[in-house]
Amino acid sequence: MSTPHHASDTPLDGHVPAPDDGHSIETVELPGPTAWPLVLSVGLIMVAFGILTNISFSFLGIIMALVGIVGWVTEILPGRGHIHEELRPEELRPKPVKRADVDVIPMAPGMPGHRMHMPEKVHPYSAGAKAGLVGGVAMAVLAAIYGVVSGRGIWYPVNLLAGMVLEEADTDPVAQLEQFHLLALILGLFIHAVGSLFVGLIYGIVLPMIPRGRVLFGGLVAPLFWSGCLWASMDVLDPVLAQRVDWVWFIASQFAYGIVVGIIVVRTEKIHTTRGWRA
Amino acid sequence: MATTVAVPEMTDKSPRRSSLLEWVTTVDHKRIGIMYLLAALFFLVCAGTEAALMRIQLWKARFDFLEPDTFNQLFTMHGTTMVFFVGMPILVGFGNFLVPLMIGARDMAFPRMNAFGLWMFILGGLLTYYSFLQGGAPDVGWFAYAPLTSATFSRGMSTDYWILGLMTSGLGTLSGGINFIATILTMRAPGMTFGRMPLFIWMMLVDAVLIVIAFPPLTAAQTMLLLDRQLGAHFFDPQQGGSAVLWQHLFWFFGHPEVYILILPAFGMISEIIPVFARKVIFGYESVAAATVLIAFIACGVWAHHMFALGLSRTIDIFFSGSTFLIAIPTGIKMFNWIATLYGGKIRFQTPMIFCLGFLAMFLIGGLSGVMLAAVPFDWQASDTYFVVAHFHYVLFGGTLFGIFGGFYYWFPKMSGRLMNETLGKWNFWLLMIGFNLTFFPMHISGLMGMPRRIYTYDPELGVDIWNQLSTIGVLVQAAAFIVFAVNLIGSLRSGERSGDDPWDAWTLEWLTTSPPPAYNFEVIPAVRSRRPLWDLKHPEDPDWEHE
Repeated sequence: MSTPHHASDTPLDGHVPAPDDGHSIETVELPGPTAWPLVLSVGLIMVAFGILTNISFSFLGIIMALVGIVGWVTEILPGRGHIHEELRPEELRPKPVKRADVDVIPMAPGMPGHRMHMPEKVHPYSAGAKAGLVGGVAMAVLAAIYGVVSGRGIWYPVNLLAGMVLEEADTDPVAQLEQFHLLALILGLFIHAVGSLFVGLIYGIVLPMIPRGRVLFGGLVAPLFWSGCLWASMDVLDPVLAQRVDWVWFIASQFAYGIVVGIIVVRTEKIHTTRGWRA
Repeated sequence: MATTVAVPEMTDKSPRRSSLLEWVTTVDHKRIGIMYLLAALFFLVCAGTEAALMRIQLWKARFDFLEPDTFNQLFTMHGTTMVFFVGMPILVGFGNFLVPLMIGARDMAFPRMNAFGLWMFILGGLLTYYSFLQGGAPDVGWFAYAPLTSATFSRGMSTDYWILGLMTSGLGTLSGGINFIATILTMRAPGMTFGRMPLFIWMMLVDAVLIVIAFPPLTAAQTMLLLDRQLGAHFFDPQQGGSAVLWQHLFWFFGHPEVYILILPAFGMISEIIPVFARKVIFGYESVAAATVLIAFIACGVWAHHMFALGLSRTIDIFFSGSTFLIAIPTGIKMFNWIATLYGGKIRFQTPMIFCLGFLAMFLIGGLSGVMLAAVPFDWQASDTYFVVAHFHYVLFGGTLFGIFGGFYYWFPKMSGRLMNETLGKWNFWLLMIGFNLTFFPMHISGLMGMPRRIYTYDPELGVDIWNQLSTIGVLVQAAAFIVFAVNLIGSLRSGERSGDDPWDAWTLEWLTTSPPPAYNFEVIPAVRSRRPLWDLKHPEDPDWEHE
């Protein structure tokens, strides 16, 4: 390891200052070149090579490795194994870093490129989380209503959702999917809660960025977008749901979620961003 | 914004030429780093040749250009070489060269151990390749699944060469990981707090931690396998009470973090290059660093997604599917940060930058197909098909290798004192971009059409000939790209334009010293006050430390 430097808090300009401790700084102590790491490596490789070919190589390798270790340890004893590297001649040293020819003009409000469009106030992220959970409840209520109206019962939608991870849902008859299953309920609720929470958080972050029509965006545009994505990927995500979902009710529940979350987020009192604090 | 750069006048006086002995006995981190790079480039030629031979074999259905056994050896050695003897050493090489310079240190914490790591890697690689001269190279895949590796199915010594070659080179990698951690934790310049470290240093630190976590299980598994093969133990022999699945768990507990070991330094490189060429500070420094730590944490809990097709329990599938989806979040955060850095920037489309832009596009495709494979039902369909081959090549070639090329073009002037040729650099980029996509994008399609990987030929009725032919043509285009790179590298070394100390008007400490730097790096250890110490010097009217 190199020795500690002489001047620890020197200006960062590549300029060598005059020594302040009475010692010359025209040389720098560095670890010297050595072959012992190579000797040790060759020894270890020969041990391995001997296992594969002839064991006598391994014995030779062990001897080489031991010699390498001894040589290595000898070099790191105090006062050994270091060289004093001379500093390069002045003309080959780095030149001091020059100040740039063009000054930076600090951005100010009103200047092109100034990020005034970034919100100085936002809805708290917690609003997104809370709204997501409330929206999830709204969606679940609508799904339960669908279960009742369709005559399949309130457990049918949650069993379909749990089909994302429950393999037997693939083969269960419809009658079975209409019954209460504790595992399916737990899994379905978990998937629903996590999904609602995450989308709610995204609402909490994204909605303040929308200049106008936030409820319209949150209640209509965004649910329409992700419903399309889900429609395209449902076969992979949850084949059971893809086969048996009623898309009209499904999309309606997405709208219900979006509208509820959008309204709750937008109605939450805004707080200052760190940008606002700095200002 | 600065429009001119302080470039010292160059003279023809240069330090005396170094002898071979000086290079062999050196403990200088910069020379060791360069030797890592050169050795990795040698192995890259080997692995590239193996890949080209495989692609010729797959040119048409039922082609008999190669014997099945030879094909098995080639895909095993290609994978093994690219992961262990190309990807990691290149990244460790860059890390060796750059880490002390970027943190304002004179060398690595353990310079001799650094040399030891280099030689273990080189000799381990040569030992593995020596198997070609001993009757045949390993043919069990880079993953070496049990029980294919048992003495019953893998006769001869080829698998033992694989085990011992990787164990010995792994020892070098492990010593390198420990060295990086010690160096970064203890040798930073005065004032360089964790919050002021360059992002490349953050990535190397997390990378080194992953190396220390991931390699011991692999070494343990290889030791067990060696005992099975040489001394009749039964760790992985189901017939004797062992478990073949145990090998997969141990291997992939190493294998998936390994993917992040291979990609994180490339993340670090582009996190340094993009801001310099967009002339903007990185967007969300803290979130990039935090996302890196999060990636490393999650990366240790996703290994069984390589084993979905094995028939593990539903609970395990759900857990590992969920954790795999989860890792997309910190990765997405990084993508967002890089793109946000570009947004509104005064972008200079020089070669290092266009490789970074290529990285962003290619890695995005690889990341998205990774998310697809995280879904268990999809994985069951696509597992062991060319879709998976396409996915990981988009991540590790489109991601890591594009990042590495960007790094080569960016830091070559610091290593050599000369700039690489811009025109050839752009040819290099476009040939590689076209060749890479021509090779690997059709594999998505042939994979979804049912073409299995690791099989030396395919059924003509599968209808995938055209996709395979496109892939093979793509390899030829890639070969042209690599030749252009080699010409550029050698030509620039001999007669490239002098670069000066800071050719890119950059901001981190390595650009403070000469190109190439002296053995001691800095005459005086610099003190830093912000994440962009050179910016502070160039712009005293608006230094970063006033804003951080």
